[in-house]
Amino acid sequence: MLRTTLAGLRMHKGRLVTTALAIILGVTFVSGTLVFTGTLNESFNAQVKGSADGFAAIVLPDNDQGDGSEPTLLSQRTLDDIAALPEVTEAGGVIRGDTPLLDTEGRVVGNLPTAGVSVGDSTRYSAAEGELPADADEVALATGSARETGHGIGDEVQILDHEGAEHTFTVTGLVDFGVGSEFSFTGAVAFDETTAKEMTGVDGLSEINVTGAQGTTDEAVTEAVAAVAGDAEVLTGQEFGQRLAENAGADSQVLTMALMLFALIAMFVASIVIYNTFAILLAQRQRETALLRCVGAGRGQVFRGALLEAVIIGAVSSAVGVLAGIGVGYAGFAIGGETLGATVSSTSVVIGPAVVVAGLAVGTVMTVLAMLVPAIRSTRVPPLAALRTSATAQGLEQGIGWVRIAGGVALFLLAAALVRWAMALSSSGPSEHGLLVVTLGGFAAFLGVFVLGPLLVRAIVAALGAPMRKLGAAGALAADNTRRSPKRAATAMIALTVGAALITGYSVISASMESTITDQLERQFPVDYTITPQFDTETGEGIPPAVAGRLEDSPAIATVITERTAYTGGGEARTDLPVSAYYGGAVGTDVGASLKSGDLSDLAPGKVVVAEVYAEGRDVGATFTVPTEQGERDFEIAAVTAGTDGLWGVTMDPDDFATYFPDATDAQSVSVRAADGAEDDEVHDAVYAAVEDDPTLQVMSTAQLKNEITDFLDTAFLVIAAMLGLSVLIAVFGIANTMALSVLERTRESALLRAMGLAKGQLSRMLSMEAVLLCLIGAVLGVGLGVVFGWAAGTVVLSDLLLTVPVARIALLIAVAVLAGLLASVLPARTAGRTSITGALASE
Amino acid sequence: MNERATLATPEQRSYAAPPAVTARDLTKVYGAAHAGVRALDGVSLEFTRGEFTAIMGPSGSGKSTLMHCLAGLDSATSGSVLLGGTDITRLGSRQLTLLRRDRIGFIFQSFNLLPMLTAEQNILLPSRIAKRTVDRSRFDHIVNVVGLTDRLDHTPSKLSGGQQQRVAVARALLNEPEVVYADEPTGNLDSRSGAEVLAFLRDSARDLHQTVVMVTHDPVAAAYADRVVFLRDGRLVGEIRQPDAETVLNCLVRLEG
Ligand SMILES: Nc1ncnc2c1ncn2[C@@H]1O[C@H](COP(=O)(O)OP(=O)(O)OP(=O)(O)O)[C@@H](O)[C@H]1O
Ligand SMILES: [Mg+2]
Repeated sequence: MLRTTLAGLRMHKGRLVTTALAIILGVTFVSGTLVFTGTLNESFNAQVKGSADGFAAIVLPDNDQGDGSEPTLLSQRTLDDIAALPEVTEAGGVIRGDTPLLDTEGRVVGNLPTAGVSVGDSTRYSAAEGELPADADEVALATGSARETGHGIGDEVQILDHEGAEHTFTVTGLVDFGVGSEFSFTGAVAFDETTAKEMTGVDGLSEINVTGAQGTTDEAVTEAVAAVAGDAEVLTGQEFGQRLAENAGADSQVLTMALMLFALIAMFVASIVIYNTFAILLAQRQRETALLRCVGAGRGQVFRGALLEAVIIGAVSSAVGVLAGIGVGYAGFAIGGETLGATVSSTSVVIGPAVVVAGLAVGTVMTVLAMLVPAIRSTRVPPLAALRTSATAQGLEQGIGWVRIAGGVALFLLAAALVRWAMALSSSGPSEHGLLVVTLGGFAAFLGVFVLGPLLVRAIVAALGAPMRKLGAAGALAADNTRRSPKRAATAMIALTVGAALITGYSVISASMESTITDQLERQFPVDYTITPQFDTETGEGIPPAVAGRLEDSPAIATVITERTAYTGGGEARTDLPVSAYYGGAVGTDVGASLKSGDLSDLAPGKVVVAEVYAEGRDVGATFTVPTEQGERDFEIAAVTAGTDGLWGVTMDPDDFATYFPDATDAQSVSVRAADGAEDDEVHDAVYAAVEDDPTLQVMSTAQLKNEITDFLDTAFLVIAAMLGLSVLIAVFGIANTMALSVLERTRESALLRAMGLAKGQLSRMLSMEAVLLCLIGAVLGVGLGVVFGWAAGTVVLSDLLLTVPVARIALLIAVAVLAGLLASVLPARTAGRTSITGALASE
Repeated sequence: MNERATLATPEQRSYAAPPAVTARDLTKVYGAAHAGVRALDGVSLEFTRGEFTAIMGPSGSGKSTLMHCLAGLDSATSGSVLLGGTDITRLGSRQLTLLRRDRIGFIFQSFNLLPMLTAEQNILLPSRIAKRTVDRSRFDHIVNVVGLTDRLDHTPSKLSGGQQQRVAVARALLNEPEVVYADEPTGNLDSRSGAEVLAFLRDSARDLHQTVVMVTHDPVAAAYADRVVFLRDGRLVGEIRQPDAETVLNCLVRLEG
């Protein structure tokens, strides 16, 4: 049997090329992901560990105080005590505080104040580029901060000290704090020790790095240090490095999971392609198989032969895929690693045995599984089939298939029920369970399409048949050909449905998210700029009244709305009730929110607008008690908001607020609307001039925010579409393969048609139309599923989703599908056109 | 006779004399010129309009090759083939395609029909390809004569072998081609079905002035023809007019002996 199998493989190798390609692509993706993330991880580990490994011990403040308060910093005395130990050669303390870095426009960088860190020879941070600061007017920037501000070595930068005074420093170097470090969100600047103390105003150490004496083990040093460090946590350098690596690993794990998900989707599509190829091949070989059975081969032998074939193809293709994956993974790391924060140059590619084993196993097992059903079917071929002519149009004889219809309809009903359930789950707010249920519903609907596929193909072709017939003989024949083996056609197109559905689904979510957010921005913040204080837990200061004053004076600005907020003990359940009032603009027209009931413009003295969570069931007209600074006061509820945007606490009339919260005079936000006819530049300059003296204030432009959101969503869409693009590519291979196999099977027919005067052009047009038809059906079904489940998922995840169907993107997807169909038919059409008529007629 | 008057084209009536197809010194060599197989070796033949000719000869004598060259399916190494006034050996493949489409009909031994099309669709297929409007009365007449009227919406798999061949015959005849080529059209049929098909080919030649050229191995089939020509080793070696099965058989035995 082995010899027969090998001979068969050699003879049919042309027919297996695209199958092999499908497997190779899938395995390449899987092993590429493993290599890429493995290498990335290794690089992260090396970065973070490298900084700690060289130290015998690391001392950290005891942050487990039980009450969640800020940890007490380590004292200078502890440092001195440690340095005095005989086991210790040197001990360095790290000072850490807030030192907001200013960008080139003179505004602070980011939503959180930049961290200021002390660095030196005795502590663990070293310069990735340039030198560490050694002087009072020198600074090193974290690589991330440098990228964000565009500052480089040699530049002058402005940094605020803890009192808000501006200081100028020269950048001497860049420090890589590593991925997943505590500075990932804030960014960081590094000073020498004395400067750091002055700038941060912090009196205490966040970390002590201990270098052990020669000949003393790290454990001994750690033990000695722990004895004098009191409550502080003492770790060996190794242990600390491990902890850092875990943090960094957590970051890259999300990426690994996402990539793996896409790889699995690609593998799934590949397995559909493989299944279809084998099903067609074994059906075509029905006579060969029957002949084998005639000459005495048993069922088991036939089955083992088919299985052997799958193992050989799977293993060989997987091996190629693993090799390609290693290349792709490393190329991906070399190209994209830097962006993700890895140091590419110093990391060598990581190829564990796991990569090879996983790649080979996934590819081979999937191939064998995909082949199982066709192989079992081939064992049922009776020896007598050798005498029959092969049925090349079996599909035509099939009945309606009531079982299929029942199964398909049941699955669709299940899907609909699941979606309804998900909607119910999320009716009171976004729900993770809802998303899971929607996903299950998506699976059920996909299975439904799978089960009904052959019937759908027949129905769609029957519907499209009439217009296609108008296109002439080629169109008519294409429609008839697609109808003849609907199972094959359905399996070929359903591979494309997967990718098309996922891309459409994501694009629907993305577009709906964009329009929902844009709409909310327009409704809730009908303003051009909003000024807020930098989020800073320590000071909690608001916006000085002078800012609003300056804005009001500017001719470029028409409206200035100031929001004041006071936090007060609220209700029975809530301890922190935010109470706000808006000055300079009316609630309802200038300040909006998603409403549950009532009317925002009804807000007047003695009334309040309350968010749903605080209303606790009370509705418009009911009494709401607010614990004011003047004691408890009753208000009438004018409206209840959803609390998800705009107005989220209690909102009262400005006069009431001034009466009951006379101390809360600082503005929490200032929003402005441009005067009619004011140029964008004028407004921008007016706003920035108003906050010039207060560099920590954050200025947000609504237009810019919209752009940022759009850019972000667009980029995410492109990345995801590219990842899913591979699945689409594999599916197109599958369609090309189905076409190629059909052409081989129909050589005689093509010759007959050519003999009767069908021109070569018409023949290839017929094949193109067949392929395009398959791609179109697959893509359109995918788009249908994608729109429905994209909407469902979006609705479940985001409340008040504005369903937006991205028509342009979907049109593009369909255009790509048509193009893919044309491409898929190029080679089969060439084969068909080249076959000699007489030769084909002679071979029976 | 009425039928003939309505179905025969004016062209057919006015040019009764010149042959429908003429082959002059046809040679076909497979492979390299010296070492190759001479499948046809200087064959010259004429097929008169309205005549039913059978081509016979031992296996490998070049019958199929001759037919393919005559039909423009294959190109001859040298010599010429005239269809009406056209020298088809000088045509490019595009023109040959049009020629086959518009002026020639084919019947093969098997696999004549497209499995996904009904009998009617199969019969109409060449017209469909050529975007020709079909003479409905001629269609009905032919379908009626070949006895397929109540089988028109069946797919080939639901038709017997004989019925399938009759569909092929109907298809070949529908467009009044200048010549119909049939390669062993009864090779796969039992004698009764074969007889029906042959009778129909004979009648179409006689009544419709249809030129028919048929390759066959069967002396009984050949006896339906007006004339039998014999091939051996790619050469024309004999001819019988108004044959009967016995003379044909004798002739064959002599050839193979
Ligand atoms: N494509 C080809 N390449 C090489 N030789 C060929 C080819 N086709 C036919 N021949 C040779 O040409 C000769 C004539 O073949 P042809 O098919 O015309 O015979 P035939 O009379 O139709 O035989 P049969 O009765 O068996 O169908 C044979 O010797 C055959 O081997
Ligand atoms: Mg032959």
